[in-house]
Amino acid sequence: MKTLRRRSTMAAIGFMLAMPGLIAAPNVEAAQTIYNTSMPSVMRVAIRENNASGEPDPRGRIIYVQAVPFVTYCEDVLPNEWFPSWRPEALKAGAMAVKMFAWYHHLHPVTIDGYTFDVDNTTNFQHFQDLSSQPTTNAAFAAIQNVAYTRPNGEIIELNYSAGYQNDPNWQYRNAQKMAQWGTEYWAEKGQNYVQILQFYYQNRALMRLQS
Amino acid sequence: MKRFPSARSVMLACAAAGAIAMAIPVDDTPSHINHVHSLRGAVATMGQIQDTVANNNQTIGNHATGNRTLVPPAKPRQNPSAPTPPRTAPVQPGTGNQVKPPSGSAQPSPNQSEAATPTPGSQPSANNGTAIGPESWGYTRKTSKLRIHVIDGRTKQPLEGAEVVVIETEQRFRTDKNGDTPWFDAPIFRNPKYRPMVAELHGQLGVIAYKNGYRDSIHLGIRMHENIRQEATVWMYKIGPGDRRIEPVLYQEPYHHLWLIQLADKFRQQSQIGEGPERP
Repeated sequence: MKTLRRRSTMAAIGFMLAMPGLIAAPNVEAAQTIYNTSMPSVMRVAIRENNASGEPDPRGRIIYVQAVPFVTYCEDVLPNEWFPSWRPEALKAGAMAVKMFAWYHHLHPVTIDGYTFDVDNTTNFQHFQDLSSQPTTNAAFAAIQNVAYTRPNGEIIELNYSAGYQNDPNWQYRNAQKMAQWGTEYWAEKGQNYVQILQFYYQNRALMRLQS
Repeated sequence: MKRFPSARSVMLACAAAGAIAMAIPVDDTPSHINHVHSLRGAVATMGQIQDTVANNNQTIGNHATGNRTLVPPAKPRQNPSAPTPPRTAPVQPGTGNQVKPPSGSAQPSPNQSEAATPTPGSQPSANNGTAIGPESWGYTRKTSKLRIHVIDGRTKQPLEGAEVVVIETEQRFRTDKNGDTPWFDAPIFRNPKYRPMVAELHGQLGVIAYKNGYRDSIHLGIRMHENIRQEATVWMYKIGPGDRRIEPVLYQEPYHHLWLIQLADKFRQQSQIGEGPERP
């Protein structure tokens, strides 16, 4: 009798220990990679109201959501984030960052005030200005249109960037896994190509060729 | 007893005062004319100012604002000792996109094939090696290729036949069926007031677009960089039956935000850090 009670107690304890493993569902979410997603065709851009000086307000009310072709969106962002007069390799590095940032946020849309969108037109995401593309920045996009910069397994991640300091390699941005915009021009001036610039700021990433 | 001042010293003082008064230059032109032409006399321009500019205004700039009075043809204030500049014959509107090429400016010639086929990275012309204005005012000899794209602001369709005027140089162009002006040499003017402190990273330029049936569009602050080709889009808005006050539309292009970050960091004090310096 005592033995039976002991066995049942042991079984109950074993069952309780095994419960969490039975309840917790295994993580089956697949990473969004360049192999199981395609490049976006359209970006949903929330247009925020302007401030008193006529510029989009990052905390302004969302007026509407504009559907913009993906390539057009990237071309209308780059001249407002990078200087169109910078060296071509700096612009290519910037084009890659803008593209992968937009791609990531297209896969992770947000809903605010009833509007579902991928990005807005302010520096909350990237500074978008309609019909502001420039020939030099468009050429930079054309040069990188068939490649992507992802994790080595192809997972699409957000390539963050920030202004940085002029005439400086901006090592602190490398430590923060962010690309310094001024740093791209610095390294391009030193003769680095855009892949080397990207590798300097983003570690454990790989340049992947997109399947057509 | 001797009087002081004596009658003789009083007479001498009066004569001296009269001489000084006569030495003061007197401008006999009426004040309202001075007001109209004061800008032309003060601001140096790339092209020479001619009466044909105002004449073109009358013939081409025929807006829907019927009650608007046209300014009479302006005559530039000139130094009498300087030789009269030769006048160029106005180009007929149908002969090309450029309405009136101002003489002396860095204009591509009509048979210049480079203007039709842009080549990135081409070197800008040196504007004949002559300064176009005082350097202290921000005038430079640097030019860069620019093209203006004019669209309907509602439909976003290109507008053909719009006249685009570059404010700083008075160059005039007309858009083609794609809404584009030809590529032209535009100066790179940086505002000199910030130069000793924070050099501006791009120049700025302004254009005005005119088209019958549309509001005038003033586009200021077009960013100009050296050694590259640039485009700017001007949005024009059709005049509708409900529009009572017909006034120009202004679009002021902001400074590039990378320069604004530098400007704010430049003057930041340790005791008033605000958002703090730029950091990752």
